[in-house]
Amino acid sequence: MAERTAGAESGLAKIVRSAKSGGLIPGRGSLLLFNSLTFVVFFAAVVALHSMPLPWRVKKFNLLVASYLFYAAWNPPFVLLLLISTAVDWKAAQWIHRSTTEGRRRLFLILSLATNLGILGYFKYGGFLLDNFTMLMKSLGVAYQAPEWSIVLPVGISFYTFQTMAYSLDVYLRRAAPTKSLLDFSLFVSFFPQLVAGPIVRPSQLVPQFAEPKQATPPQFYWGLALMTIGLFEKVVLADAFLAPAADGAFGATGGLHPLDAWTGVLAFSGQIFFDFSGYSTTAIGAALCLGFALPNNFLYPYAAIGFSDFWRRWHISLSTWLRDYLYIPLGGNKKGRLRTYANLMITMLLGGLWHGANWTFVVWGGLHGLYLAAERFFRELFGPNRGWYNNIVFKLAMALLTYFLVNITWVFFRSQTFAQAKTMLASMFGMAAEPEKVLYWNDIAPALVVVAGMVATHWALRSTTMEYVIEKTPRWIVGAVWAFMLFMLVITQGSDSAFIYFQF
Amino acid sequence: MPARPWGRLLAAALIVVIGLTAGWEVYWRSKMFIPGDYKNTQALWAQERRKAVGDATVMIGSSRIFFDIDLDLWEEASGVRPVMLALEGTSPRLFLKDLADDENFHGLVIVGVTAPVFFTQDGGLRADVLDYYKKETPSQRADHWLSGPLERTFAFLDEQTRPNIQMITAPLPLREGMQPLFYPRKLSISAADRNTEMWERVMADERYREEAKEQWTLILQRFAPPPSADGSPPPPFPQEAIDAVIAEVKGNVDRIRARGGDVAFMRLPYDGLFAVAEDNGFPRERFWDALLAATDSAGVSFHDYPELQGYEIPEWSHLAPREAERYTRAVTPIFYAKLKEKNAERAAR
Repeated sequence: MAERTAGAESGLAKIVRSAKSGGLIPGRGSLLLFNSLTFVVFFAAVVALHSMPLPWRVKKFNLLVASYLFYAAWNPPFVLLLLISTAVDWKAAQWIHRSTTEGRRRLFLILSLATNLGILGYFKYGGFLLDNFTMLMKSLGVAYQAPEWSIVLPVGISFYTFQTMAYSLDVYLRRAAPTKSLLDFSLFVSFFPQLVAGPIVRPSQLVPQFAEPKQATPPQFYWGLALMTIGLFEKVVLADAFLAPAADGAFGATGGLHPLDAWTGVLAFSGQIFFDFSGYSTTAIGAALCLGFALPNNFLYPYAAIGFSDFWRRWHISLSTWLRDYLYIPLGGNKKGRLRTYANLMITMLLGGLWHGANWTFVVWGGLHGLYLAAERFFRELFGPNRGWYNNIVFKLAMALLTYFLVNITWVFFRSQTFAQAKTMLASMFGMAAEPEKVLYWNDIAPALVVVAGMVATHWALRSTTMEYVIEKTPRWIVGAVWAFMLFMLVITQGSDSAFIYFQF
Repeated sequence: MPARPWGRLLAAALIVVIGLTAGWEVYWRSKMFIPGDYKNTQALWAQERRKAVGDATVMIGSSRIFFDIDLDLWEEASGVRPVMLALEGTSPRLFLKDLADDENFHGLVIVGVTAPVFFTQDGGLRADVLDYYKKETPSQRADHWLSGPLERTFAFLDEQTRPNIQMITAPLPLREGMQPLFYPRKLSISAADRNTEMWERVMADERYREEAKEQWTLILQRFAPPPSADGSPPPPFPQEAIDAVIAEVKGNVDRIRARGGDVAFMRLPYDGLFAVAEDNGFPRERFWDALLAATDSAGVSFHDYPELQGYEIPEWSHLAPREAERYTRAVTPIFYAKLKEKNAERAAR
């Protein structure tokens, strides 16, 4: 990643990276980003088309074409992957439903899983597997030279493969019957607002909405626009403009850091990843609402979480519930004894980590969360369920801070490219780095810490309520002023330069 | 969904935003930002790169040829409008190779040489533009296309007006032991085809101009480090590195010539600390003369022509706008005469 250096310089490369990370270099994300002019035009056209007095089937077909266009705007041939996923799961679910023997049901489920996981494995994990195989061979003394692996990772592949797998799994587990309309199912797989970065929607949440004509009412439409404004403000202004420089600066450094730089970088990344991903989800929910569809909430003020089971009820909710329903529970959940429960937790979180990326650092990130969840479970069992001091405000606050602290430790692994980098960053945070260097300027530190403090305070304040309730109770002139402020900041920040972090997952 | 009069709230918010944006536009125009100054994006570069086909004349280089050559006047003087592919802080060797690799190109490449950037080992500031050009997606192209009319209309769309850039460049105190950040401010304005000149504010605002010089001072220490504390000079640029660069350039020049194209070089004026650093750190006999000799190319260095000297260079590295016009008028005939002379010399062999 980019870095900004200030101490001893070693050449033009460092200076070049300095200027890049500061935003000097104009560039653009490669996708049809929500935060781009093209999306504004695209979305306006889709909304206009969706508002015309056309038959519902035609409107759905329009949405399907728009969704394929949305994906093709990044790389047209990769629409084929969407079509393959759609076709295989459509047929597999029907065959599973019609099969009379368990063997055949299982066979068709395997067909669905093998196709989706095969696509995911080839495009996302192929290089990783090859690297690890090469290392294994080397450790066994076998000279093996792996072929060069330069496969483009299709954006959002982890999201839509999980979404379509949920459909086949639901039918297999007899939680749902196959949908009757191929058009509805195709739209479920490719619905553009949440196609590339979620929320990961369940068939039962979205497919029934396609059955009846949907048109946003004027208040729904305006609220949808308000949500899109909030989401884009989170992404463009808070994540990209005010947090990314500190996070990139600290994580781009090659050596040990001064503790202030290390902590600022990690805290800034905790804010950046939240605002980036929550911003995408909120924009997606708003965009869908403008068309008359409801998508599930994906975030619920996670940095006010008290403990890790609470954190995972608030962070990337659609993934955590997916993993719970399609991995943790089928593994036995907490129904097969204590030891097995802990093992299931670890397996679920390790695979959850791997879902994020083909790197052992992500696995460790997931593993740490698994350990935290296991430890929390252990202590809950040790102390019992209903202790009076659980509700003591000081205890809750202390636990919330401890949770946020431990979450930040996991972010070090999530953001680092290598374990060596993570180790250096952790050593830097605790003042144990050799030759610590200052790489962040007050210009980076001040906005990052102000935004992070505001974020944590807001999460805490809204912990037990909803944004909708707060908006309803706030004087309307304040609501209007805040909306105007966010819109104005979007206009003047002009952010269309960087893709959402979660696109890569 | 919160029960609020959302329609009226949106209308009110939009009115406020329009008012604020109008004020923002007026403010930045008062700071000499102008509409029609196109952002020097990767997409704009890619748009021009697509014009570099057949027998086109193409200019590559770093910021000096980018700022100092007025394409309108070059065209007026020569009848040829070059495609401008120079990029600030970036070695043109990347683009020479790109053009040499492109079988569809058999035109003339004019290479601006700023020795410290030309001979850099890592490509420089905008090296990733080629990757962008090769992988540009439909949405990126659409974004660029949609951005054009807005950039023609609004001055505030300049990168430097963004709140985060203002934050990065705000004069906050330095942390102990840190050097000031190298972050050059806006120095140029560009037309839709990347015809570029120095921004008027550099001329009009003395403080701004001094800031630009302070920035150059920071980077010059790295290009050509000052003598050490004991007075001994910094180690010279290794000869093997120079030879390797020149060999690479020669290979690409030969490939373009083999297809009927040609390559020629230019050095454009500099002054002040740049003169000290470049002339001491990159003596012409080791760099410029060796480059021309090895590649058997025409080259025009401002050092060699009285009519290419004595221009106003406000921040030591780029010509003032009117001086760039005067310089272009002066250099165009010299360049083509030199090119003709070199061609004749090669033909006579």
